Amino acid sequence: MSDQNDSQQRTEPDIETASEQASDREGPAVVSRRWLLLKAGIALNGLVGLALAVPVVRYLLAPVRKDSSYKSWVSLGDANSFPVGETRLVSFKNPWTQPWDGQTDNVAAYVRREGASQFTVFAINCAHLGCPVRWFPQSQLFMCPCHGGVYYADGSRASGPPERGLFTYDYKIAGGQLQIDAGQMPSLSNTAKLVNISSPATNSGRNGDCGCRG
Amino acid sequence: MRAGAIALALPLVFALAGCGRLPGSKAEADSPARPEDVLDFHTLYNTNCQACHGADGHNGPAMELGNPEYQALVDDATLRKWISGGMPGTEMPAFAQSAGGMLTDAQITAIIAGMRKEWSKPNVFAGAAPPPYAQDQTGDVQRGQQTYQARCASCHEKPSRQQVTSPAYLTLVGDQALRTIIIAGRSDIGQPDWAHDNPKGAPGASLSAQDVTDIVTYLGSLRSPAAVSAAPLPISPRRRP
Amino acid sequence: MPGMKQTGKRIYDWFEQRLQVEDPIKDAVLHKVPRNTASWWYVFGSAAFTLLMLQIVTGILLALVYVPSAAEAWNSLNILNHQVPLGWFLRAVHGWGSNFMVAVVFIHMAQVFLFGAYKFPRELTWTVGVFLLLMTLGMAFTGQVLRFDQDAYWGLGIGVFILSRVPWMGGGLVHLLLGGPTIAGATLSRFFALHVFVIPGTLLFLALVHVWMVIKLGINEWPMPGRLVRKSTYIAEYNQLTHEDGIPFVPGAFWKDLIFSAAVLAAVGVCAAVFGPSGPGGQPDPSITQTVPKPDFPFLWIYAVLSYLPPSMETPFILIAPIVMIAGLLAVPFVASEGEKSWHRRPVAVLALATIAVGWGVFTHLAMSTPWSPHMSAWSADTLPVEYLREATPLVRQGAVIFQAKQCRNCHSIGGHGGERGPALDAVATRMTPDQMRYKVVTGGGNMPAYGKNLSPAEIEALVSFLETLHPKGEPPAFDASQQAAQSNAVPAGGSNTP
Repeated sequence: MSDQNDSQQRTEPDIETASEQASDREGPAVVSRRWLLLKAGIALNGLVGLALAVPVVRYLLAPVRKDSSYKSWVSLGDANSFPVGETRLVSFKNPWTQPWDGQTDNVAAYVRREGASQFTVFAINCAHLGCPVRWFPQSQLFMCPCHGGVYYADGSRASGPPERGLFTYDYKIAGGQLQIDAGQMPSLSNTAKLVNISSPATNSGRNGDCGCRG
Repeated sequence: MRAGAIALALPLVFALAGCGRLPGSKAEADSPARPEDVLDFHTLYNTNCQACHGADGHNGPAMELGNPEYQALVDDATLRKWISGGMPGTEMPAFAQSAGGMLTDAQITAIIAGMRKEWSKPNVFAGAAPPPYAQDQTGDVQRGQQTYQARCASCHEKPSRQQVTSPAYLTLVGDQALRTIIIAGRSDIGQPDWAHDNPKGAPGASLSAQDVTDIVTYLGSLRSPAAVSAAPLPISPRRRP
Repeated sequence: MPGMKQTGKRIYDWFEQRLQVEDPIKDAVLHKVPRNTASWWYVFGSAAFTLLMLQIVTGILLALVYVPSAAEAWNSLNILNHQVPLGWFLRAVHGWGSNFMVAVVFIHMAQVFLFGAYKFPRELTWTVGVFLLLMTLGMAFTGQVLRFDQDAYWGLGIGVFILSRVPWMGGGLVHLLLGGPTIAGATLSRFFALHVFVIPGTLLFLALVHVWMVIKLGINEWPMPGRLVRKSTYIAEYNQLTHEDGIPFVPGAFWKDLIFSAAVLAAVGVCAAVFGPSGPGGQPDPSITQTVPKPDFPFLWIYAVLSYLPPSMETPFILIAPIVMIAGLLAVPFVASEGEKSWHRRPVAVLALATIAVGWGVFTHLAMSTPWSPHMSAWSADTLPVEYLREATPLVRQGAVIFQAKQCRNCHSIGGHGGERGPALDAVATRMTPDQMRYKVVTGGGNMPAYGKNLSPAEIEALVSFLETLHPKGEPPAFDASQQAAQSNAVPAGGSNTP
């Protein structure tokens, strides 16, 4: 609409210059129509822009979902394949995947079997900054290669910068299979829940940063 | 001289022309393999074994794997058993993934093959038959003590040296490890094999299979975890805040 | 020949009549700058811009082969390294160009700060410059992610853990950063978009704004002690300076920019040819735990700082420090928009810069050796010096086995090999009595885990007897003086004074 208006005026150059000069001196009567149309044009663009922005924002925020919608139960294999009293490294396919994830959908976890049906499944991510901790069965310690976080066999912090023990996955045994509730990279923002659901035996050992459990 | 100069200059020219040979260029071999794909014996030994068993199989605190007599004494299946599942009663840990370690079966095969290739020597016993690796008789403590006094004590009972009768030591080594070291010896630290009870290597009377079993039985009878655990914590924990 | 010259002129005029760029270019090129700014100190900004151009060109060339897919990126980089002729060189130039660009941008910023060039009327130039710095670092980080290897994966993991500490929205921010619940296909795609479209576009636009302001406001004059900046008089003073003692920017100052830029480009080329491309490291497979992730050079200092923070400081520091740092940088020209420019009269500025430079250097150096990290394979790979065991009894030898097998070596070095997290133990027997060692091993403390539950009494005995032997020849081991005194007293008193 405003374009039409413009071209109409260009066909009459004399009038335009006259009106431009007039706009400096004369009252708003001549000017206001043009400015009104400009404002209308801006408002129209704003409106359309807003209408288009809503789906764009929705699209951008698509990955922001509830943790629970990403997670599902994953089997780690026969529960009896884990010897009692030992901690084993297992890897599983992330339940939330895209076909082009490649190797990144391999996720590892440490399974510690405390009793016949007593397990603790630790995330391999150090509670400090997420680097992969390594289990040393000889000294019964988890050590982190990044900043030197060390954890005891029950996942409680032994030394180094972490503020807490290792993250654990919720688990259940279904049909003889050990299953964990996985699908999300454990981090400090989503693990308050993960801590609650771990078995009581591991919680008792998680006593903050006291290194005096001799 | 001129031929030499040309021989020197040619590669340089090729290097400049070919650009692919600049020092920064990457060889295919540089690209990192997955840890389980590493099958080179030296890489595997140097990262997994040498800290305890010594560089090149000698002078480590644990068993001397580079001793050809050891290599001749132990068969592949036994080596695989110890590497895979660890050696009970000793600090030898389990390395197989199936037992919680980091190595695949193929890697363990590569380590065994590599050890044989590097350290085995033909006819190392020079015709003599050593006592069998695995104990096949029952031992007698009394006889073992006598044999020990006669054949071992001259070195091992020197004050503050080589005391193998320390209960703490015996608690940490199993009978099999004792037996192996008596038979194969440790050439790197002067422990003679079963056939030479003189550390300088001069031939002495060989120990019989029964002698070895008796000594191990005697030493085993001295093993007493209870005696060790009696040592109390010396400093009162209240010194800690 | 004259005919050709005529034709050339005609073609030029044809274009010029339509484009009309001759006058603005002439203005920009010939504008007068103070004579003493034609200095080698003023070449870093143009070098940074040259490097940006190099990065854009090499980046486009790499994009011809690189596949921005989590499943293929790592393979395509290896194909670039090994199969595409000189693909490794292009990667190396892009990688070294990045290192040089970060370095030159920092040097440029330090020089501008030292010369007081951010003062009135160039505050906005500095502000835009701060954002250019952040963009440059953003390019370095996203570029590290595109080199989709284990370092990239776990470096992103560190990013996730930092973001996850943000109160309330941490989880949402993590999902937004990763494009999903984990580091996976969607993550690489969005970092590709950031590295190739979003950040470089913004960077180029801001760089042009930055250059525009430099041309419009004139190059900062060489600071003279006592010549103060006042908002009321500065512009007039600067105009007078350029009129009385000015030279045209081209060629007066520009030839130095050209030579320095060429030198920097040559240095990038030589480094690329000699040192080659960095990585890619191991496969981006998170189930491979045998990895020691480390960030690229520009972020090493952060990596070091994060290891020294006490646990209680972790979250507040991580969340507040970046805001404070960026706000501090942005505030510089507004806090000190007038006054002295010369470093001779700005001791606080000089000290601040020196402190930051030294701190940065120390942390970067520390991050190269990572003394805080356990050496993951020291226990099975680092041999003991042969002479330490030459006189060893069987028990001591067994103690050495335990020292290795229980991963003590991962944190404690002997003979210069092993971790540096704990003290080196070559002379531990001169510092601690056997009783103290036993206590320390059992209860841990400081930064040491307690081993009481993981070692049998026999193992502790063997370990301590090994540690007891660790003292230099001729230097006696430590002993408990009180115990000795008690024992020597006990003999004459007939043992009656023992409790």
